[in-house]
Amino acid sequence: MDISRRKFLQIGAVASGSVVCAGVKPASARDLREPNPEWLGMLNDTTRCIGCKACQVACKKENKLPKESTLNEAANVGRDVYDAPRGLSDRTYTLIKMQQAKEGGKATFVKTQCMHCSEPACASACIVGALKKQDNGAVAYDSKLCMGCRYCMVACPFSVPQFEWQNAIPSIKKCTFCRETRLKEGKPTACSTACPAGAITFGKRTELIKIARQRIEEDPERYQDHVYGEKEVGGTGVLYLARPKMQFASLGLPAFEYRTVAGLTESIQHRIFQYFIPPVAVYSVLGGIMYYNQRRKKNGGEEGGSHE
Amino acid sequence: MNKAAPLNYNFFTPNVWLLIFFMGTGAIFAFFRFFYGFGSVTNLNAAYPFGIWIAFDVACGVALAAGGFTTAAIVEIFGRDKYHALVRPAILTAFIGYFLVGLAVFFDLGKYYNIWHALVYWNGTSVLFEVAWCVMLYLTVLGIENIPVVVEQFKGRVNLPGQLASFNRPSEWLLGQADNILNRTMAFFVIAGVVLSFGHQSSLGTMMLIAPYKLHDLWYTPLSPLLFLTSAVSVGLPMVIFEASLATVLFKREPETELLADIAKYIPMFLGTYLLLRIGDLAYRGVLAQAFDGSVQGNSFLVEFALFAVPYFMLKRRKIRRNALKLFLCALSVILGVVLNRFNVFLIGMDMGPEFNYFPSVGEFAVTFAFLAFGVFIYRMAVNYLPILEEQ
Repeated sequence: MDISRRKFLQIGAVASGSVVCAGVKPASARDLREPNPEWLGMLNDTTRCIGCKACQVACKKENKLPKESTLNEAANVGRDVYDAPRGLSDRTYTLIKMQQAKEGGKATFVKTQCMHCSEPACASACIVGALKKQDNGAVAYDSKLCMGCRYCMVACPFSVPQFEWQNAIPSIKKCTFCRETRLKEGKPTACSTACPAGAITFGKRTELIKIARQRIEEDPERYQDHVYGEKEVGGTGVLYLARPKMQFASLGLPAFEYRTVAGLTESIQHRIFQYFIPPVAVYSVLGGIMYYNQRRKKNGGEEGGSHE
Repeated sequence: MNKAAPLNYNFFTPNVWLLIFFMGTGAIFAFFRFFYGFGSVTNLNAAYPFGIWIAFDVACGVALAAGGFTTAAIVEIFGRDKYHALVRPAILTAFIGYFLVGLAVFFDLGKYYNIWHALVYWNGTSVLFEVAWCVMLYLTVLGIENIPVVVEQFKGRVNLPGQLASFNRPSEWLLGQADNILNRTMAFFVIAGVVLSFGHQSSLGTMMLIAPYKLHDLWYTPLSPLLFLTSAVSVGLPMVIFEASLATVLFKREPETELLADIAKYIPMFLGTYLLLRIGDLAYRGVLAQAFDGSVQGNSFLVEFALFAVPYFMLKRRKIRRNALKLFLCALSVILGVVLNRFNVFLIGMDMGPEFNYFPSVGEFAVTFAFLAFGVFIYRMAVNYLPILEEQ
């Protein structure tokens, strides 16, 4: 009994050991993919934004999104009068938020929308590949493919994807980068066109980084020497500039690491299924043990009092 | 060895009516979920897109169905035949468990009618993709593993009423074929079941690693897949003990204390492995101090850990294993530990900031209870009409 029990342990250790090798070792993230120079993006200059919300209006018009009232006008007046979204939602793809930075206490207006990441965690997470990085840089969503599992909402570090909680047949909603409506016709995004303060610059991502660097160089008093989104989470399509001595985190742009969000899960997945070696190995080990035990039983080496 | 036989009790007892009541209540809320949207029933929101339907029905459901593959491995692969009586109920409950997991996923998917997309549109980088495939294949394997029970009950005895009588012979032929083929291939499915279980039990642990900036440090670890796997293995036998103990009381059967006490000796071994990995990981990453910072997450971790650690030390002692009540309580502790662990990873440890919170609505609870009731209902039906439990 004791011997077989030790064997039990040993074999268990071997089996779990192979799983360990398969699943746990690859803590190091894989290398970043080189960003495509053709990718389009936007540069949001928070030092220029005046908080007029023209971009919000333009976005709602372009995407034909309904008003979102937080004042309960629908009940009181009979219809929604003001559009007053509090955060991104299935009806609001972009939003200007006033952030009161702790340092200096100055109010800063920060535009939120999908960041159109270079290595989108949502696209990595999506079980059916309904979210995909396009050649033009947009992270596009295909509602026909989507199953509505909401794993993308968990995956997105910026919590951008929104779900239609009120619909019987809900979809994910997020900034489309005006891919179908404007980009196709060669026009820039609606929000960037609407901005009266020149706070949103539309263009190729590589160009935008150059513009950002130039602005920082020309006016170091005005700008912090950091382009948010150039490296964060492996790079984002929407980049941000901010005033100096101000944490990006206090503007609602957390200090994320430079490696991709999905690096760990992807490498674990990859190892487990690398040429199917780990599953096949576990299968063979277990098969061997089963064969051994059955043969021993046949040879009269009864154990456990079976009389089948 | 005793033969398994149907219980053949009167089916509609008051308890069964209670189950039907729960199922009915859940169905009413499910109606609103399907026709008026999630907002009409659930408290889910942008920060908490996963609620108890995922954290409990799916994550815990899969973990608690681990009794199937652990028992099958111990008895069929490692050849411990004396525990034979425990295999059929374990495989049955695993099948019911996974069936309910599938059903819960169906309820939780926004576009449930697209559920088949998981088979056709592949995205290999997605953890869910692997989970979906393994769960689906394992459910199939569990279905196959349950066929011999049906064959045993009906082979040579198919006697359909009235006009259906013409199907008697084809049915017999089918049962005969199934019996024939499965006799020769069952070993293949048994091992496949264990390998598939290894796959998705660990992948469920990988799932929330997609959110490094949301999941609390106490649970965000590259070791998570292995911890999920070892905790699932640890909870397999406690589930078997839990179910057997309840069946003893509810069906007024002879207690199987000796058998259960005997198999319980493996639990500390599994639990010990899990606890060692867990503590080692926390210490290695240097986050152990966060467990004592008095936060909700820290306290939740301490409770979770205690639920694992206490039965580990208790079950090492033979005297406690031989006491039916203490054994039951230890098993319950491990089960609650795993449940809390899954809740911690999927809900409590998801730190979304002070402005967001989530607590399940009445409707979400009702649907979850309905699933549980449905599971017990199927189990009750199966043991009543099929040879699952051994004759006493």
